[in-house]
Amino acid sequence: MSTQPPQPTPAAEGAPGVAPHLLYVTGLSFAYPGRPGLLRDLHLTLQPGERVGVIGPNGAGKTTLFMLLCGVLTPDSGMIRLLERPVTPGTFHPEIGMVFQNPDDQLFCLSVWDDVAFGPQNLGLSRAEVAARVEAALTTTGVRHLAERPPQQLSGGEQRMVAIAGVLALHPRLVIYDEPSANLDIRSRRRLIQFLQASPETLLLASHDLELILEVCDRVLLLDAGQIVGDGRPYVVMGDAALMAAHGLERPATLL
Amino acid sequence: MNLTLDAYAHRDSPLHRWEPRCKLVALLVLLFAFAFVRDLRLLPAMLLVTAGLYAASRLPAALLLSRLRYPGMFLLLFALLVPLLVGSTILLKIGPLALYREGLLFLLLVATRFGAILTVSIVLFGTMPFLTSVRALRALGLPEILADMTLLAYRYLHELGRDLRMMQTAMRLRGFQGRAFSPRNLRMPAALVGSLLVRSYARSERVYQAMILRGYGHESACCASTLVPVTRPDLMALVGTLLVATGFVVGDVLLRTGALV
Repeated sequence: MSTQPPQPTPAAEGAPGVAPHLLYVTGLSFAYPGRPGLLRDLHLTLQPGERVGVIGPNGAGKTTLFMLLCGVLTPDSGMIRLLERPVTPGTFHPEIGMVFQNPDDQLFCLSVWDDVAFGPQNLGLSRAEVAARVEAALTTTGVRHLAERPPQQLSGGEQRMVAIAGVLALHPRLVIYDEPSANLDIRSRRRLIQFLQASPETLLLASHDLELILEVCDRVLLLDAGQIVGDGRPYVVMGDAALMAAHGLERPATLL
Repeated sequence: MNLTLDAYAHRDSPLHRWEPRCKLVALLVLLFAFAFVRDLRLLPAMLLVTAGLYAASRLPAALLLSRLRYPGMFLLLFALLVPLLVGSTILLKIGPLALYREGLLFLLLVATRFGAILTVSIVLFGTMPFLTSVRALRALGLPEILADMTLLAYRYLHELGRDLRMMQTAMRLRGFQGRAFSPRNLRMPAALVGSLLVRSYARSERVYQAMILRGYGHESACCASTLVPVTRPDLMALVGTLLVATGFVVGDVLLRTGALV
Protein backbone atom coordinates (compact mmCIF):
# COMPACT_ATOMS: atom_id res chain seq x y z
CA MET A 1 0.00 0.00 0.00
CA SER A 2 1.46 3.33 -1.05
CA THR A 3 2.29 5.94 1.55
CA GLN A 4 2.86 8.61 -1.09
CA PRO A 5 -0.13 10.81 -1.89
CA PRO A 6 -1.62 10.15 -5.33
CA GLN A 7 -1.90 13.32 -7.38
CA PRO A 8 -5.41 13.88 -8.70
CA THR A 9 -5.48 14.51 -12.42
CA PRO A 10 -7.57 17.55 -13.24
CA ALA A 11 -8.47 16.05 -16.56
CA ALA A 12 -10.11 13.09 -14.86
CA GLU A 13 -12.41 15.25 -12.77
CA GLY A 14 -15.81 15.30 -14.45
CA ALA A 15 -14.72 13.07 -17.31
CA PRO A 16 -17.26 10.48 -18.59
CA GLY A 17 -17.00 7.17 -16.79
CA VAL A 18 -15.09 8.73 -13.89
CA ALA A 19 -16.91 8.49 -10.56
CA PRO A 20 -17.38 12.01 -9.21
CA HIS A 21 -15.39 12.88 -6.12
CA LEU A 22 -17.22 14.14 -3.05
CA LEU A 23 -14.36 16.56 -2.45
CA TYR A 24 -11.78 17.62 -4.97
CA VAL A 25 -8.90 19.90 -4.04
CA THR A 26 -6.07 20.90 -6.31
CA GLY A 27 -3.20 23.34 -6.03
CA LEU A 28 -4.35 24.63 -2.66
CA SER A 29 -2.03 27.18 -1.07
CA PHE A 30 -2.53 29.43 1.89
CA ALA A 31 -0.51 31.66 4.16
CA TYR A 32 -1.61 33.85 7.05
CA PRO A 33 -0.70 37.52 6.54
CA GLY A 34 2.88 38.22 7.45
CA ARG A 35 3.72 34.54 7.99
CA PRO A 36 5.38 31.90 5.80
CA GLY A 37 3.21 29.69 3.60
CA LEU A 38 1.28 27.16 5.68
CA LEU A 39 -0.22 25.05 2.92
CA ARG A 40 1.60 24.69 -0.35
CA ASP A 41 0.15 23.30 -3.58
CA LEU A 42 -1.94 20.72 -1.78
CA HIS A 43 -3.95 18.10 -3.67
CA LEU A 44 -6.67 15.96 -2.15
CA THR A 45 -9.72 13.95 -3.15
CA LEU A 46 -12.38 12.30 -1.06
CA GLN A 47 -14.86 9.71 -2.22
CA PRO A 48 -18.35 9.36 -0.75
CA GLY A 49 -18.34 7.15 2.30
CA GLU A 50 -14.62 7.45 3.02
CA ARG A 51 -13.38 7.93 6.54
CA VAL A 52 -10.17 9.87 6.33
CA GLY A 53 -7.92 10.71 9.24
CA VAL A 54 -5.56 13.67 9.08
CA ILE A 55 -2.49 13.49 11.28
CA GLY A 56 0.50 15.72 11.64
CA PRO A 57 2.50 17.73 14.14
CA ASN A 58 1.15 20.90 15.76
CA GLY A 59 1.21 23.76 13.31
CA ALA A 60 1.05 21.49 10.27
CA GLY A 61 -2.08 23.27 9.04
CA LYS A 62 -4.81 20.74 9.79
CA THR A 63 -7.30 23.22 11.23
CA THR A 64 -6.42 25.77 8.54
CA LEU A 65 -7.05 23.14 5.86
CA PHE A 66 -10.46 22.43 7.35
CA MET A 67 -11.33 26.12 7.47
CA LEU A 68 -10.40 26.38 3.79
CA LEU A 69 -12.51 23.36 2.86
CA CYS A 70 -15.51 24.88 4.65
CA GLY A 71 -15.09 28.20 2.91
CA VAL A 72 -14.32 30.15 6.09
CA LEU A 73 -10.86 31.11 4.80
CA THR A 74 -10.00 32.17 1.27
CA PRO A 75 -7.12 30.25 -0.34
CA ASP A 76 -4.28 32.14 -1.91
CA SER A 77 -4.49 29.78 -4.87
CA GLY A 78 -6.06 26.51 -5.87
CA MET A 79 -9.50 25.06 -6.26
CA ILE A 80 -11.89 23.31 -3.91
CA ARG A 81 -14.93 21.53 -5.31
CA LEU A 82 -17.58 19.88 -3.19
CA LEU A 83 -20.12 17.66 -5.00
CA GLU A 84 -18.99 19.08 -8.35
CA ARG A 85 -19.55 22.65 -7.24
CA PRO A 86 -16.85 25.13 -6.24
CA VAL A 87 -16.63 26.04 -2.57
CA THR A 88 -16.99 29.80 -2.54
CA PRO A 89 -15.42 31.46 0.49
CA GLY A 90 -18.00 33.28 2.60
CA THR A 91 -20.91 31.27 1.19
CA PHE A 92 -22.95 28.87 3.27
CA HIS A 93 -22.42 25.22 2.29
CA PRO A 94 -24.73 23.00 4.34
CA GLU A 95 -23.26 19.92 2.62
CA ILE A 96 -20.13 20.29 4.69
CA GLY A 97 -20.19 20.49 8.46
CA MET A 98 -17.41 21.00 10.95
CA VAL A 99 -17.18 20.05 14.60
CA PHE A 100 -14.70 22.35 16.31
CA GLN A 101 -12.00 21.24 18.68
CA ASN A 102 -13.58 23.22 21.49
CA PRO A 103 -17.33 22.52 21.40
CA ASP A 104 -17.93 25.53 23.62
CA ASP A 105 -17.10 27.74 20.63
CA GLN A 106 -20.02 26.36 18.67
CA LEU A 107 -22.66 26.03 21.38
CA PHE A 108 -23.83 29.63 21.39
CA CYS A 109 -27.54 29.33 22.15
CA LEU A 110 -29.13 29.25 25.57
CA SER A 111 -30.42 25.71 25.34
CA VAL A 112 -29.34 22.52 23.62
CA TRP A 113 -32.56 22.37 21.61
CA ASP A 114 -32.17 25.92 20.34
CA ASP A 115 -28.54 25.28 19.43
CA VAL A 116 -29.29 22.20 17.38
CA ALA A 117 -32.22 23.98 15.74
CA PHE A 118 -30.01 26.92 14.74
CA GLY A 119 -28.69 25.36 11.55
CA PRO A 120 -32.02 23.99 10.18
CA GLN A 121 -33.67 27.35 10.91
CA ASN A 122 -31.06 29.02 8.71
CA LEU A 123 -32.08 26.66 5.89
CA GLY A 124 -35.53 28.26 5.91
CA LEU A 125 -37.27 25.03 6.89
CA SER A 126 -40.73 24.97 8.42
CA ARG A 127 -41.15 24.70 12.17
CA ALA A 128 -42.20 21.05 11.85
CA GLU A 129 -39.20 20.17 9.69
CA VAL A 130 -36.83 21.91 12.08
CA ALA A 131 -38.32 20.04 15.02
CA ALA A 132 -38.06 16.73 13.18
CA ARG A 133 -34.39 17.34 12.34
CA VAL A 134 -33.57 18.39 15.87
CA GLU A 135 -35.27 15.33 17.33
CA ALA A 136 -33.45 13.04 14.94
CA ALA A 137 -30.06 14.64 15.58
CA LEU A 138 -30.46 14.58 19.36
CA THR A 139 -31.59 10.96 19.28
CA THR A 140 -28.78 9.87 16.98
CA THR A 141 -26.17 11.43 19.26
CA GLY A 142 -27.86 10.13 22.42
CA VAL A 143 -28.42 13.55 24.02
CA ARG A 144 -32.19 13.91 23.70
CA HIS A 145 -32.46 14.07 27.50
CA LEU A 146 -30.32 17.23 27.50
CA ALA A 147 -32.58 19.22 25.16
CA GLU A 148 -33.67 21.82 27.71
CA ARG A 149 -30.29 22.23 29.40
CA PRO A 150 -28.03 25.26 28.93
CA PRO A 151 -24.83 24.24 27.12
CA GLN A 152 -22.53 25.69 29.77
CA GLN A 153 -23.89 23.19 32.30
CA LEU A 154 -22.92 20.16 30.24
CA SER A 155 -19.86 18.00 30.69
CA GLY A 156 -17.15 17.95 28.02
CA GLY A 157 -18.44 14.73 26.50
CA GLU A 158 -22.02 15.97 26.46
CA GLN A 159 -20.97 19.24 24.84
CA ARG A 160 -19.10 17.31 22.18
CA MET A 161 -22.14 15.22 21.28
CA VAL A 162 -24.43 18.26 21.27
CA ALA A 163 -22.01 20.04 18.93
CA ILE A 164 -22.10 17.00 16.65
CA ALA A 165 -25.90 17.00 16.78
CA GLY A 166 -25.92 20.64 15.75
CA VAL A 167 -23.88 19.81 12.67
CA LEU A 168 -25.80 16.62 11.80
CA ALA A 169 -29.10 18.51 11.88
CA LEU A 170 -27.97 20.16 8.64
CA HIS A 171 -27.74 16.73 6.96
CA PRO A 172 -24.20 17.28 5.69
CA ARG A 173 -22.55 14.97 3.17
CA LEU A 174 -19.12 15.55 4.64
CA VAL A 175 -18.44 16.04 8.34
CA ILE A 176 -15.11 17.38 9.50
CA TYR A 177 -13.98 16.68 13.04
CA ASP A 178 -11.14 18.72 14.54
CA GLU A 179 -9.61 16.81 17.44
CA PRO A 180 -12.90 15.18 18.45
CA SER A 181 -11.49 13.24 21.41
CA ALA A 182 -9.68 16.20 22.98
CA ASN A 183 -10.47 16.50 26.72
CA LEU A 184 -12.76 13.48 26.74
CA ASP A 185 -12.67 10.87 29.47
CA ILE A 186 -12.31 7.19 28.59
CA ARG A 187 -16.03 6.47 28.56
CA SER A 188 -16.91 9.52 26.47
CA ARG A 189 -14.09 8.72 24.09
CA ARG A 190 -15.32 5.17 23.61
CA ARG A 191 -18.85 6.44 23.03
CA LEU A 192 -17.51 8.86 20.43
CA ILE A 193 -15.56 6.13 18.65
CA GLN A 194 -18.64 3.92 18.49
CA PHE A 195 -20.65 6.84 17.17
CA LEU A 196 -18.08 7.64 14.47
CA GLN A 197 -17.83 3.99 13.45
CA ALA A 198 -21.59 3.93 12.90
CA SER A 199 -21.77 7.29 11.08
CA PRO A 200 -23.01 7.02 7.49
CA GLU A 201 -21.50 10.38 6.46
CA THR A 202 -18.14 10.86 4.80
CA LEU A 203 -15.69 11.79 7.54
CA LEU A 204 -12.57 13.90 7.61
CA LEU A 205 -11.03 13.75 11.03
CA ALA A 206 -7.93 15.41 12.49
CA SER A 207 -6.59 13.96 15.69
CA HIS A 208 -3.48 13.41 17.76
CA ASP A 209 -5.31 10.36 19.13
CA LEU A 210 -3.77 7.89 16.71
CA GLU A 211 -5.56 4.92 18.26
CA LEU A 212 -8.87 6.62 17.46
CA ILE A 213 -7.72 7.11 13.87
CA LEU A 214 -6.89 3.40 13.67
CA GLU A 215 -10.31 2.40 14.95
CA VAL A 216 -12.39 4.80 12.89
CA CYS A 217 -10.61 5.60 9.64
CA ASP A 218 -9.90 3.60 6.52
CA ARG A 219 -7.46 6.11 5.08
CA VAL A 220 -4.91 8.45 6.61
CA LEU A 221 -3.27 11.63 5.36
CA LEU A 222 -0.04 12.75 6.99
CA LEU A 223 0.24 16.52 6.75
CA ASP A 224 3.44 18.36 7.47
CA ALA A 225 5.12 21.53 6.25
CA GLY A 226 2.11 22.39 4.14
CA GLN A 227 2.17 19.18 2.16
CA ILE A 228 0.51 15.78 2.31
CA VAL A 229 3.52 13.54 2.78
CA GLY A 230 1.65 10.31 3.39
CA ASP A 231 -1.63 8.91 2.08
CA GLY A 232 -2.83 5.38 2.54
CA ARG A 233 -4.22 2.78 4.88
CA PRO A 234 -3.84 3.75 8.57
CA TYR A 235 -1.71 0.75 9.53
CA VAL A 236 0.56 1.39 6.54
CA VAL A 237 1.09 5.13 7.03
CA MET A 238 1.17 5.08 10.82
CA GLY A 239 3.08 1.80 10.88
CA ASP A 240 5.95 3.36 8.94
CA ALA A 241 8.22 4.28 11.85
CA ALA A 242 10.68 6.22 9.73
CA LEU A 243 7.94 8.26 8.07
CA MET A 244 6.27 9.03 11.36
CA ALA A 245 9.53 9.98 13.08
CA ALA A 246 10.55 12.18 10.17
CA HIS A 247 7.42 14.26 10.74
CA GLY A 248 7.49 14.53 14.52
CA LEU A 249 5.14 11.65 15.23
CA GLU A 250 5.32 8.20 16.76
CA ARG A 251 3.68 4.97 15.78
CA PRO A 252 0.57 4.23 17.87
CA ALA A 253 1.05 1.63 20.58
CA THR A 254 -1.15 -0.84 18.69
CA LEU A 255 1.31 -0.88 15.79
CA LEU A 256 4.49 -1.21 17.83
CA MET B 1 -20.56 36.16 41.43
CA ASN B 2 -23.71 34.56 40.04
CA LEU B 3 -24.34 36.00 36.61
CA THR B 4 -27.63 34.19 36.00
CA LEU B 5 -30.61 36.52 35.66
CA ASP B 6 -33.38 33.95 35.45
CA ALA B 7 -32.55 31.41 38.14
CA TYR B 8 -36.09 31.75 39.55
CA ALA B 9 -37.93 32.00 36.25
CA HIS B 10 -39.47 28.57 36.85
CA ARG B 11 -41.46 29.74 39.87
CA ASP B 12 -45.17 30.54 39.84
CA SER B 13 -46.59 33.98 40.64
CA PRO B 14 -48.80 36.59 38.99
CA LEU B 15 -45.66 38.21 37.59
CA HIS B 16 -44.39 34.87 36.25
CA ARG B 17 -47.71 34.25 34.54
CA TRP B 18 -47.92 37.73 33.02
CA GLU B 19 -47.55 37.59 29.23
CA PRO B 20 -43.95 38.60 28.41
CA ARG B 21 -44.66 41.41 25.95
CA CYS B 22 -47.23 43.03 28.23
CA LYS B 23 -44.87 42.69 31.17
CA LEU B 24 -41.99 44.23 29.23
CA VAL B 25 -43.99 47.23 28.05
CA ALA B 26 -45.61 47.80 31.45
CA LEU B 27 -42.50 47.52 33.58
CA LEU B 28 -40.23 49.39 31.15
CA VAL B 29 -42.70 52.30 31.15
CA LEU B 30 -42.78 52.13 34.94
CA LEU B 31 -38.98 52.23 35.04
CA PHE B 32 -38.95 55.36 32.92
CA ALA B 33 -41.65 56.89 35.11
CA PHE B 34 -39.51 56.23 38.19
CA ALA B 35 -36.51 57.81 36.47
CA PHE B 36 -38.64 60.87 35.71
CA VAL B 37 -39.64 61.50 39.35
CA ARG B 38 -37.83 64.37 41.04
CA ASP B 39 -40.26 65.33 43.81
CA LEU B 40 -39.38 63.72 47.12
CA ARG B 41 -43.05 63.45 48.12
CA LEU B 42 -43.52 60.68 45.57
CA LEU B 43 -40.75 58.52 46.97
CA PRO B 44 -42.92 56.66 49.52
CA ALA B 45 -45.40 55.79 46.77
CA MET B 46 -42.55 54.65 44.57
CA LEU B 47 -41.25 52.40 47.33
CA LEU B 48 -44.74 51.05 47.95
CA VAL B 49 -45.28 50.15 44.31
CA THR B 50 -41.82 48.57 44.09
CA ALA B 51 -42.32 46.54 47.25
CA GLY B 52 -45.73 45.42 46.03
CA LEU B 53 -44.32 44.26 42.71
CA TYR B 54 -41.49 42.37 44.36
CA ALA B 55 -43.86 40.72 46.81
CA ALA B 56 -46.16 39.70 43.95
CA SER B 57 -43.21 38.17 42.08
CA ARG B 58 -42.46 35.82 45.02
CA LEU B 59 -38.76 36.15 44.30
CA PRO B 60 -36.59 35.55 47.35
CA ALA B 61 -35.30 38.54 49.28
CA ALA B 62 -31.81 37.06 49.11
CA LEU B 63 -31.86 37.48 45.35
CA LEU B 64 -32.58 41.20 45.67
CA LEU B 65 -29.87 41.67 48.26
CA SER B 66 -27.29 39.82 46.19
CA ARG B 67 -28.11 41.78 43.06
CA LEU B 68 -28.00 45.10 44.92
CA ARG B 69 -24.60 44.37 46.43
CA TYR B 70 -22.27 45.40 43.62
CA PRO B 71 -24.32 48.31 42.23
CA GLY B 72 -24.70 49.39 45.85
CA MET B 73 -20.95 49.88 46.05
CA PHE B 74 -21.14 52.54 43.35
CA LEU B 75 -24.03 54.14 45.18
CA LEU B 76 -21.96 54.12 48.36
CA LEU B 77 -19.26 56.15 46.67
CA PHE B 78 -21.92 58.57 45.50
CA ALA B 79 -23.38 58.69 49.01
CA LEU B 80 -20.04 59.58 50.51
CA LEU B 81 -19.41 62.52 48.21
CA VAL B 82 -22.70 64.19 47.29
CA PRO B 83 -23.85 65.33 50.76
CA LEU B 84 -20.45 66.87 51.29
CA LEU B 85 -20.25 68.67 47.98
CA VAL B 86 -23.77 69.57 46.84
CA GLY B 87 -25.91 72.31 48.41
CA SER B 88 -25.76 75.46 50.44
CA THR B 89 -27.72 74.77 53.65
CA ILE B 90 -25.31 73.33 56.17
CA LEU B 91 -26.73 70.74 58.55
CA LEU B 92 -23.52 69.75 60.24
CA LYS B 93 -20.00 71.00 60.10
CA ILE B 94 -16.95 69.03 61.23
CA GLY B 95 -13.77 70.90 60.61
CA PRO B 96 -13.47 71.64 56.91
CA LEU B 97 -16.24 69.15 56.04
CA ALA B 98 -19.84 70.33 55.83
CA LEU B 99 -22.93 68.17 55.43
CA TYR B 100 -25.46 69.90 53.18
CA ARG B 101 -29.23 69.48 53.37
CA GLU B 102 -29.66 69.69 49.60
CA GLY B 103 -27.00 67.06 49.11
CA LEU B 104 -28.68 64.69 51.51
CA LEU B 105 -32.06 65.17 49.88
CA PHE B 106 -30.53 64.66 46.43
CA LEU B 107 -28.87 61.50 47.70
CA LEU B 108 -32.22 60.30 49.05
CA LEU B 109 -33.85 60.90 45.67
CA VAL B 110 -31.09 59.17 43.69
CA ALA B 111 -30.81 56.23 46.08
CA THR B 112 -34.56 55.62 46.14
CA ARG B 113 -34.88 55.87 42.38
CA PHE B 114 -31.85 53.64 41.94
CA GLY B 115 -33.20 50.98 44.31
CA ALA B 116 -36.69 51.08 42.82
CA ILE B 117 -35.45 50.87 39.21
CA LEU B 118 -33.06 48.03 40.00
CA THR B 119 -35.74 46.11 41.90
CA VAL B 120 -38.30 46.45 39.12
CA SER B 121 -35.61 45.34 36.63
CA ILE B 122 -34.95 42.25 38.71
CA VAL B 123 -38.68 41.53 38.75
CA LEU B 124 -38.88 42.04 34.99
CA PHE B 125 -35.98 39.78 34.02
CA GLY B 126 -36.12 37.43 36.98
CA THR B 127 -39.65 36.19 36.35
CA MET B 128 -39.11 34.84 32.84
CA PRO B 129 -36.30 32.96 31.09
CA PHE B 130 -33.80 35.30 29.48
CA LEU B 131 -34.46 33.81 26.08
CA THR B 132 -38.16 34.64 26.49
CA SER B 133 -37.25 38.20 27.40
CA VAL B 134 -35.21 38.59 24.24
CA ARG B 135 -37.93 36.97 22.11
CA ALA B 136 -40.47 39.37 23.59
CA LEU B 137 -38.16 42.30 22.82
CA ARG B 138 -37.73 40.97 19.31
CA ALA B 139 -41.52 40.70 18.95
CA LEU B 140 -41.81 44.32 20.08
CA GLY B 141 -39.38 45.46 17.38
CA LEU B 142 -35.85 44.98 18.67
CA PRO B 143 -33.63 44.52 15.58
CA GLU B 144 -32.58 40.91 15.02
CA ILE B 145 -28.88 41.64 15.20
CA LEU B 146 -29.27 43.36 18.57
CA ALA B 147 -31.29 40.40 19.84
CA ASP B 148 -28.56 38.00 18.65
CA MET B 149 -25.83 40.11 20.22
CA THR B 150 -27.72 40.22 23.51
CA LEU B 151 -28.18 36.46 23.57
CA LEU B 152 -24.56 35.80 22.69
CA ALA B 153 -23.34 38.25 25.31
CA TYR B 154 -25.50 36.55 27.95
CA ARG B 155 -24.45 33.09 26.82
CA TYR B 156 -20.75 33.84 27.04
CA LEU B 157 -20.95 35.96 30.18
CA HIS B 158 -20.83 32.70 32.11
CA GLU B 159 -17.71 31.65 30.25
CA LEU B 160 -16.09 34.98 31.05
CA GLY B 161 -16.99 34.53 34.69
CA ARG B 162 -15.55 31.03 34.70
CA ASP B 163 -12.35 32.13 32.98
CA LEU B 164 -12.00 34.96 35.47
CA ARG B 165 -12.37 32.60 38.43
CA MET B 166 -9.86 30.15 36.94
CA MET B 167 -7.30 32.86 36.35
CA GLN B 168 -7.79 34.28 39.83
CA THR B 169 -7.29 30.80 41.29
CA ALA B 170 -4.14 30.36 39.24
CA MET B 171 -2.83 33.68 40.53
CA ARG B 172 -3.56 32.72 44.13
CA LEU B 173 -1.90 29.34 43.68
CA ARG B 174 1.24 31.18 42.71
CA GLY B 175 1.14 33.34 45.79
CA PHE B 176 -0.61 36.47 44.62
CA GLN B 177 -2.60 38.03 47.45
CA GLY B 178 -3.40 41.41 46.01
CA ARG B 179 -4.64 42.92 49.24
CA ALA B 180 -2.05 45.65 49.74
CA PHE B 181 -2.36 48.81 47.71
CA SER B 182 0.70 48.79 45.47
CA PRO B 183 1.50 49.38 41.80
CA ARG B 184 2.00 45.63 41.30
CA ASN B 185 -1.30 44.77 42.92
CA LEU B 186 -3.00 47.20 40.55
CA ARG B 187 -1.05 45.96 37.52
CA MET B 188 -1.94 42.29 37.99
CA PRO B 189 -5.74 42.68 37.92
CA ALA B 190 -5.33 45.03 34.98
CA ALA B 191 -3.30 42.38 33.15
CA LEU B 192 -5.95 39.82 34.03
CA VAL B 193 -8.70 41.98 32.56
CA GLY B 194 -6.62 42.64 29.46
CA SER B 195 -6.00 38.93 29.04
CA LEU B 196 -9.72 38.24 29.36
CA LEU B 197 -10.47 40.81 26.69
CA VAL B 198 -7.98 39.26 24.28
CA ARG B 199 -9.33 35.77 24.94
CA SER B 200 -12.88 37.02 24.49
CA TYR B 201 -12.00 38.56 21.15
CA ALA B 202 -10.36 35.34 19.94
CA ARG B 203 -13.35 33.33 21.14
CA SER B 204 -15.78 35.70 19.44
CA GLU B 205 -13.98 35.08 16.13
CA ARG B 206 -14.30 31.32 16.55
CA VAL B 207 -17.95 31.56 17.59
CA TYR B 208 -18.70 33.74 14.58
CA GLN B 209 -17.02 31.18 12.30
CA ALA B 210 -19.14 28.44 13.86
CA MET B 211 -22.28 30.51 13.29
CA ILE B 212 -21.35 31.19 9.68
CA LEU B 213 -20.70 27.51 9.10
CA ARG B 214 -24.26 26.77 10.21
CA GLY B 215 -25.78 29.38 7.95
CA TYR B 216 -26.03 32.49 10.10
CA GLY B 217 -27.06 35.38 7.87
CA HIS B 218 -27.98 33.04 5.04
CA GLU B 219 -31.69 33.00 5.77
CA SER B 220 -33.84 34.66 8.41
CA ALA B 221 -34.10 32.23 11.26
CA CYS B 222 -37.60 30.90 11.79
CA CYS B 223 -38.75 32.94 14.76
CA ALA B 224 -42.48 32.71 14.57
CA SER B 225 -43.60 33.62 18.02
CA THR B 226 -43.43 30.96 20.65
CA LEU B 227 -44.88 33.41 23.14
CA VAL B 228 -48.20 32.66 24.80
CA PRO B 229 -51.26 34.57 23.56
CA VAL B 230 -52.25 37.75 25.38
CA THR B 231 -55.28 37.36 27.67
CA ARG B 232 -57.64 39.84 29.26
CA PRO B 233 -55.89 39.72 32.68
CA ASP B 234 -52.58 40.43 30.93
CA LEU B 235 -54.03 43.50 29.25
CA MET B 236 -55.68 44.68 32.44
CA ALA B 237 -52.40 44.41 34.32
CA LEU B 238 -50.69 46.28 31.49
CA VAL B 239 -53.24 49.09 31.54
CA GLY B 240 -53.14 49.26 35.32
CA THR B 241 -49.34 49.54 35.39
CA LEU B 242 -49.37 52.17 32.65
CA LEU B 243 -51.89 54.17 34.68
CA VAL B 244 -49.64 53.97 37.74
CA ALA B 245 -46.65 55.06 35.68
CA THR B 246 -48.65 57.94 34.21
CA GLY B 247 -49.73 58.87 37.72
CA PHE B 248 -46.12 59.21 38.82
CA VAL B 249 -45.20 61.40 35.85
CA VAL B 250 -48.27 63.63 36.10
CA GLY B 251 -48.02 63.78 39.87
CA ASP B 252 -44.41 64.81 39.69
CA VAL B 253 -45.16 67.57 37.21
CA LEU B 254 -48.09 68.88 39.24
CA LEU B 255 -46.19 68.77 42.53
CA ARG B 256 -43.18 70.57 41.15
CA THR B 257 -45.27 73.25 39.47
CA GLY B 258 -47.26 73.76 42.65
CA ALA B 259 -50.56 72.81 41.05
CA LEU B 260 -50.88 69.98 43.52
CA VAL B 261 -49.93 70.55 47.16
